[in-house]
Amino acid sequence: MKPNPWWSALSDACFGLVPRVPYAEPDPRGCAGSAIEAAGLAAAARTGGPMVFTDISFSIPCGCRTALIGPNGSGKSTLLRALAGLVPIQRGSAQVLGAPPRLGRARLAYLAQRPRLTDPFPLPLRRLVQMGTYAHHGWFEECHHGDEAVERALALLGLTALADRPVHSLSGGQLQRGLLARAAVQGAELLLLDEPFVALDQESREIVEAYLFAPEARFTVVLATHDPADAARCDRVLELRGGVLRTVQACAGHPHRHA
Amino acid sequence: MLELLLEPLREPFFQRALVAVALSGVTCACLGAYVVLRRMAFLSTALTHSILPGVVGAVLLGLSPYVGALAAALLTAGGIAWLSARRGTSEDSAIGVMLSVMFAAGIALMSAAHAWRDFTGLLFGSVVSVGPADLLIVGLTTLVVLFLLRVLHKELELASFDEEYAELIGARPAWLRAALLLLVALGAVACVRLVGALLTTALFVIPSATGVLLGRTLPQVMGWGVACAVGGGVAGLYLSYHVPGVPSGAGIVLCCAAPYLVARLRAPRN
Repeated sequence: MKPNPWWSALSDACFGLVPRVPYAEPDPRGCAGSAIEAAGLAAAARTGGPMVFTDISFSIPCGCRTALIGPNGSGKSTLLRALAGLVPIQRGSAQVLGAPPRLGRARLAYLAQRPRLTDPFPLPLRRLVQMGTYAHHGWFEECHHGDEAVERALALLGLTALADRPVHSLSGGQLQRGLLARAAVQGAELLLLDEPFVALDQESREIVEAYLFAPEARFTVVLATHDPADAARCDRVLELRGGVLRTVQACAGHPHRHA
Repeated sequence: MLELLLEPLREPFFQRALVAVALSGVTCACLGAYVVLRRMAFLSTALTHSILPGVVGAVLLGLSPYVGALAAALLTAGGIAWLSARRGTSEDSAIGVMLSVMFAAGIALMSAAHAWRDFTGLLFGSVVSVGPADLLIVGLTTLVVLFLLRVLHKELELASFDEEYAELIGARPAWLRAALLLLVALGAVACVRLVGALLTTALFVIPSATGVLLGRTLPQVMGWGVACAVGGGVAGLYLSYHVPGVPSGAGIVLCCAAPYLVARLRAPRN
């Protein structure tokens, strides 16, 4: 649909009246050495609640695909949320892409196990994927949508045919792929994924695996999973159990990812 | 037939009422899309009803009723945020508490001032008595609301759909929520004059509920909502002009509800 010139002029005039303010301090790009470096970390699932782990230390090199395993309630989700800046770190220190975890980082994408999306909401899938570009913009700024990156990400995750469907008509697996496509458009260097394979059928699963484990992809992945087969595909496996983190398998077998 | 449409147009009060209804229809329908999608209908009811003590107080003090209305709406919004900030009180109960307390305060004030008759216009609205100053206020409110909805569109859409992602990229969903509440309060204050405190919620909810049934994107939802609100508003004015005894506010709400009913009956079940 072609935008009405009157409407565009009016809209541009509105944006001309307000300053552009970034959402957060910009981060320098590029991952060097460790993507994540944590020492003596303690966090609680919600503020004021009990700590789920009190002293865990680990480091994840750039480009490494890491699986985080452990029983229910062991704190996998809390750890991912703490690294994303969504829950505060109570003790210890963490460096995520060279800075302490905080909100407003365009280089990091986090995908919850059950994303809490408003349903129903009048939003076509393409628009959802376009939201990935917002991270690189700021307040009072119009994003001119419909660019190639969005179409590429849609194609990459096998969603081109569904691009104009409303999000609430998609299946769980299709929506999950849509959210990953949004992270791809965002160009995140670190993907924190909480059980990304849970809702997926075989077809969705193959597409997501091909995306996450593509040898040429330069991002770092940390994914929580219960499936030993998924963990085995990763370069490194960390197990969180009873508040203790141990390395089950160090980065090995995929040397090309640690250049 | 044509005469039925043209005759009221010769009356200056009817012309002013038409402009006021169109402006407030645009404001309420655009804000209403968020009110409906974010499930804030009860909150908007609380805001419109809490205007009552503000207006009564302002009139008793000799101030502009708009000042009192805005102050009361802000007090309610702040009160709800404060009450629900602690554990143990859900936002739902906080809204219920503020709504009834403010409305009761308004009724007590009205009763104490022996001014029932002066304030029935406030409860039920009186589009007939809209003056040029009221038009100016509604017009300014419409401009401010549309401007902010335009420049914050992508943030409001994102935060309404996926609050956590908005938080992750630093787009402050809590601020956006406060800004939206403020805008709804502004819109409510401007519209109470037209359809009254009891029915302003209807202008926020009914046209947008129609829009949600018909639109596939947020701008489409707003567009259908505006069409429904303005169309229903104009039809309601004619209804109350030609049918003696039907108050304008009630006529407007009934005429807005008709397209909703049609859209609801035609919408596929899922």
